[in-house]
Amino acid sequence: MVFNLSALKAVPPLITKEHGKIRVCVVVDRCKECGLCIAVCPMKVLVKSNIENSYGYHPPDPLNIEKCIGCRLCEYNCPDFAIFVEKVE
Amino acid sequence: MRKTFTSGNIAIAEGAITAGLKFYAGYPITPSSEIMEYLAEKLPKLGGVVIQMEDEIASINAAIGASWTGAKSMTATSGPGFSLMAEAVGLAVITETPLVIVDVMRAGPSTGVPTKASQSDVLQARWLAHGDYVIPCYAPWSVQEAYDLTIKAFNTAELLRTPVVVLSDAIIAHLWEPLTIYDHGEVNIIDRKIPRTGERAPPYKPDPDLVPPMPIFGKGFKALVESLVHDERGYYAPRDESYRALVTRLHMKILKRLDYIFEYETYYCDEECEYMLVSYGSTARVAYIAMLELRRRGYRVCMSRLKTLWPLDREKLVKSCRARKIIVLENNMGKIYMDMERIFKEQEVYSAPLLSLELPPVREVLEVISVWL
Amino acid sequence: MAVEHSKILHPLDRHLRTERLPTMYCPGCGIGIALGAIFRALDRRIREGLVDPNKVVWVGGIGCSARASLYVNYDAAHVLHGRAIAFATGVVLANPELQVIVIGGDGDIAGIGGNHLIHAAKRNIDMIVVMITNFVYAMTGGQVAPTTPLGVKTTTTPSGNPEPPLNVIKLIASLNANYIARASVVTPHYIENFFYKALGMKGFRFIEIISTCPEIYGRHIGLRDPVEMYNELKKRVKYKPKPSLEESDINWDKGIIIGEFIERNTPSYLELLRKVYVR
Repeated sequence: MVFNLSALKAVPPLITKEHGKIRVCVVVDRCKECGLCIAVCPMKVLVKSNIENSYGYHPPDPLNIEKCIGCRLCEYNCPDFAIFVEKVE
Repeated sequence: MRKTFTSGNIAIAEGAITAGLKFYAGYPITPSSEIMEYLAEKLPKLGGVVIQMEDEIASINAAIGASWTGAKSMTATSGPGFSLMAEAVGLAVITETPLVIVDVMRAGPSTGVPTKASQSDVLQARWLAHGDYVIPCYAPWSVQEAYDLTIKAFNTAELLRTPVVVLSDAIIAHLWEPLTIYDHGEVNIIDRKIPRTGERAPPYKPDPDLVPPMPIFGKGFKALVESLVHDERGYYAPRDESYRALVTRLHMKILKRLDYIFEYETYYCDEECEYMLVSYGSTARVAYIAMLELRRRGYRVCMSRLKTLWPLDREKLVKSCRARKIIVLENNMGKIYMDMERIFKEQEVYSAPLLSLELPPVREVLEVISVWL
Repeated sequence: MAVEHSKILHPLDRHLRTERLPTMYCPGCGIGIALGAIFRALDRRIREGLVDPNKVVWVGGIGCSARASLYVNYDAAHVLHGRAIAFATGVVLANPELQVIVIGGDGDIAGIGGNHLIHAAKRNIDMIVVMITNFVYAMTGGQVAPTTPLGVKTTTTPSGNPEPPLNVIKLIASLNANYIARASVVTPHYIENFFYKALGMKGFRFIEIISTCPEIYGRHIGLRDPVEMYNELKKRVKYKPKPSLEESDINWDKGIIIGEFIERNTPSYLELLRKVYVR
């Protein structure tokens, strides 16, 4: 029996949150829950989400996006190209 | 074309130049060093590169790297260096890299007798590396043939995207004979196929001839040279289907072209003979004289001389033999003998291990053969 | 894979074979951080027009770090253990237009590949070698490496490593390399800047990147959690603008100095070769 679990839970490919000119995007299926982005963020923007990706990992959620200063430390320290910061036009 | 008088080593170097050699990496080792020395002088003037690397392992790896830029590449060595190159031969096989490796055999095992000959690397030339594969191997017996078979080796390598071994030995290396050197237009030169598409050509997707076009570096192909077992994209594929497909294709692309690869010469084999001598390389020179002498004495002897040692065309060999007894003369303890025994099922096959640092005198060879006459 | 990747993803995706993501690397592995920083440097140079992406060739041997060659969206080669530098030498000599990047771990490059590393640095051959140091042979489960510190328990030194470690920077500095630098994954900006600078230079450029390896080396030294290992490494890494070779020893207690140890402009192998050949 093969369950297509993600279809059941409807996991989005990207988690994006924006505030002002800054948008933080998380590529859900690339995250391995290492926790580095959450740890290096100086403003404590990111928290571990309850979303489970296809590999069973919980990617971060930019919950406190209004505190984000766009330093990109999360982007630079992610080993898996799973999070990046964009400028909103 | 021009005619000259030179040694086997130089002939191999000239053969490579005629074939379009562009990159040579090597390490000095007796009795092959002259090949590198000659090319070091000549090749740069023709736009090529010669580099002496820090060891044989670096040499063959550099030659494989150079081949992936589209350059025809070669390295030459002797027994001890050949042993060092084992892993890299496997790399060239699985990445399907055209490459010519010259082994100028010397007496072994190990350091052996550096300045004297043997034919003891015959099985190593066939299966130097670990793993399941087959690669072509040519064995010249004269200076002219050293030149011709080196060109053939390059053509085979380019046609089938495979490493090819040229087996010379210390005798051929330093033997001087007349040599005819052809110009580039006078002899058939084969170049590898290169894909036409601009982007992401799967580097291991074969054409109907089982050989994929080679997406060389620097042309936007985004090639992936992969030493792991891979699928057509070059992506690691540790699954039965991919493993079987890859290994069988690597075998079949060579075996399908046995007609092109397999070359041999027969002497008097179209007559009804009682005995057939089988030999190759420098030993064949003495075997030939021995055959002539035996014929002069009234024995019905013919000879088959292998120019291609691997893979062997069993059909051709069997068809060409009318003798009852076959004597395999080689300068080792009996290596090609094992395959001859396997192939010639209807005949009696004997092994004459003529261990000889230099060409043995004919009377010695006759003494050995007379046991079976 | 159940979830489809959306088309517009990470800004560095053009450097990656995205269909092969996620990578095989462990959570918290520093290799991905190093790769990201290198891509950023490449990106800048490509935008400037100094580097043609079609002329970049990555060469990796065997090991976790060398496997980066599988993920990059460029011409790449995944060759034999320790022989990447030899392979790369052939590539750059046969086609000097190519920009060759060799990537590998400390075991692959300075262990089995040590001889090739030495001679490439001696020749000042035109290539960039990135050595990602995690102090252990991680791919095969955690055996001792040339850079493993004294006393560390690994799978092949279960009673503690009796060998003093190799200082690769000091070794290479005794030769003819044009650029020798050390960065770390806890300071990715330096990786990017050093690599950016290296791309603009000729000759042999060597960048060591001290990395985290929580699953394997972390297990050996009691720092199995990615964030914990990252933070502990961060405490010990110190940048110096012109560090001397005497400070280049890696000492987990005294600290690890990063920076550009050697930066010079001596003739590269290709330049010397051109001078020597008479047409």
